[in-house]
Amino acid sequence: MTLEIRDLSKIYNEDTEFPVAAVDHLSLTIEAGEFVAIMGPSGSGKTTLLNMVGGIDVPTSGEVFIDAENISALSQRELIAFRRDNIGFVFQDYSLLPVLTALENVEFVMQLQGRAAAECSQRAKQLLERVGLAEHLHKVPAKLSGGQQQRVAVARALAPQPRFIIADEPTANLDAHSTAELLDMMQALNQQEHTTFIFSTHDPRVIDRAKRVVVIEDGRVVEDRLS
Amino acid sequence: MFTTLLKMAWRNIWRQRRRTLLTAAAISLALILSILARSLQEGSYAHNIDNGARFSSGLVQIQHPKFGDSGSIDDLVPGSEEFIAPLREDERINHIVPRIESFALAAGAERSRGARVMGVRPELEDAYARVGQKLSAGEYLLADDNAVLLGVGLARYLNVGIGDEVVLYGQGYRGQTAAGLYPIKGLLSFPMPGIDDRLVYMPLAAAEQLFSTDGQVTNWVVHTHTLSLLPELLTQVGATYPQYRVRDWEDMLPEMAQQISMDRAGGYFMMVLLYGVVGFGLFATLLMMTLERQREFGVMLATGLLRSRLMILIAFESLFIATLGFVMGLLVVLPVLLWLQAYPIRMTGEMAQMVVEMGFEPVIPALLEAFVFAEQVQTTLFILVLCLIYPLYRVYALTVVVALQGKGHVG
Repeated sequence: MTLEIRDLSKIYNEDTEFPVAAVDHLSLTIEAGEFVAIMGPSGSGKTTLLNMVGGIDVPTSGEVFIDAENISALSQRELIAFRRDNIGFVFQDYSLLPVLTALENVEFVMQLQGRAAAECSQRAKQLLERVGLAEHLHKVPAKLSGGQQQRVAVARALAPQPRFIIADEPTANLDAHSTAELLDMMQALNQQEHTTFIFSTHDPRVIDRAKRVVVIEDGRVVEDRLS
Repeated sequence: MFTTLLKMAWRNIWRQRRRTLLTAAAISLALILSILARSLQEGSYAHNIDNGARFSSGLVQIQHPKFGDSGSIDDLVPGSEEFIAPLREDERINHIVPRIESFALAAGAERSRGARVMGVRPELEDAYARVGQKLSAGEYLLADDNAVLLGVGLARYLNVGIGDEVVLYGQGYRGQTAAGLYPIKGLLSFPMPGIDDRLVYMPLAAAEQLFSTDGQVTNWVVHTHTLSLLPELLTQVGATYPQYRVRDWEDMLPEMAQQISMDRAGGYFMMVLLYGVVGFGLFATLLMMTLERQREFGVMLATGLLRSRLMILIAFESLFIATLGFVMGLLVVLPVLLWLQAYPIRMTGEMAQMVVEMGFEPVIPALLEAFVFAEQVQTTLFILVLCLIYPLYRVYALTVVVALQGKGHVG
């Protein structure tokens, strides 16, 4: 499975005197099973790029292909189904649903796929055990630490068995210990299940762990290296 | 999935416990006040209609097709048991009363006055209109009496009393002369002024003889247990007697019907004001509940929740708050209504006098019928739907990427 970004642009204030190109004719190919860090200073276009790759933002021009399927051409409804089944999101602030327990948060995204309740429950428990939260299944996010919440978020992202995990600065709110734990876990999942991880960051601890680092400035790729 | 949405909705409303309780309390207060007001309003209408009908037209009358316009003693219907037999088995009907209603000149030794003559079956009329209870002097009629009961006002005007005689003189069936001399057996006094100034009650047999109706009556009065059964009963009776005219109290007592309609409109106006205030509060709550969770909605949409299901989630939350308001309101208002039904409010002083002068008895019983509750619940649900339109539009128009930034903009 290949993610191919072709000549992708996102221009804000396009119809004004001062258009801003958040992503500027960017092209990039990411193969299945990669562990890629998108790096760059604030405002370089990392988040905008990930949003377009994840199908939650619409490009001004250019295309995003996943296994030859142009997701930029999908209808809203098709895009929702595509996101649900193919992409797992991990957000900087964890973004768990506050009224659901850790277990229910993970089950929820599988329920959206229409899976049976028993299957959702079983897989959610397995995933939470795998991220080291077997003791915290029935706690709501407010009762978990930041690191624990982010681990639930990773389990949630993995639950629908997506082709990609897109993580927008996943360690930004974590301390050093939690960051190391999270990265260990993400790397293990990447190696064992060949899940593709794409994350934006400017955290050197994350960049050190990435197999590939893509540096973006002013919406363009300025460096693409294997570490 | 819907179970999860219901669970989330229920938990979501308790994230701001105080706000939820205040909003539910506002709904319950509106519900309590409006149910109480409507129950007392409809209770007094039902009471007045029932009383008014019993002493005058009845709830439903079967008449000759021309009698309504002519009021003539020539336009009669059969007074036989065979004629009315089809209605005897109808369980909705609790009274069937034959009457001869006409006019005659009532004369004492010195004075005379036009009077409304009611030929009735004394035992049936007493059971129906409780005429015997209005007796202020003398004795009530027996079926084979050849005597009359006079309204106190009429007796006073004619300067007659118990044991005196009055002459009734008028026109009988098909131009025959109606004339007779009747001893006064009792005097009737009604709380509503004017009624007893021109009223003469006599047994049906005596009235048949006076007006030479030959076994016919001017109308059959049909009464039902509760007013809510009236529309279907009216249809049923109309179908049973297609060749006759079947009229309800609204047709026969248009002034009373109009007075009630106007009063009811006033009540509705007050309800609109009340619900308007509550509606704004509800709208503010629902809008806040939507706007403060834009990022959360963005995450849910990003992870694959359909927008329609997100809207259903918000609708569930609103419905829970409203239901909470309903339950709180009903828990308070039901015992109060049950008490008021058992012990109706009896008006006193000038208010009571004013109501009596309007022709009604000065009591306010509560009406405990499903429609009183149903119309308030429907109104609240309607307001809820109105209040939901804009918050739901915000969700419908929500841009996922903007919502994820927590800005909550649409477009």
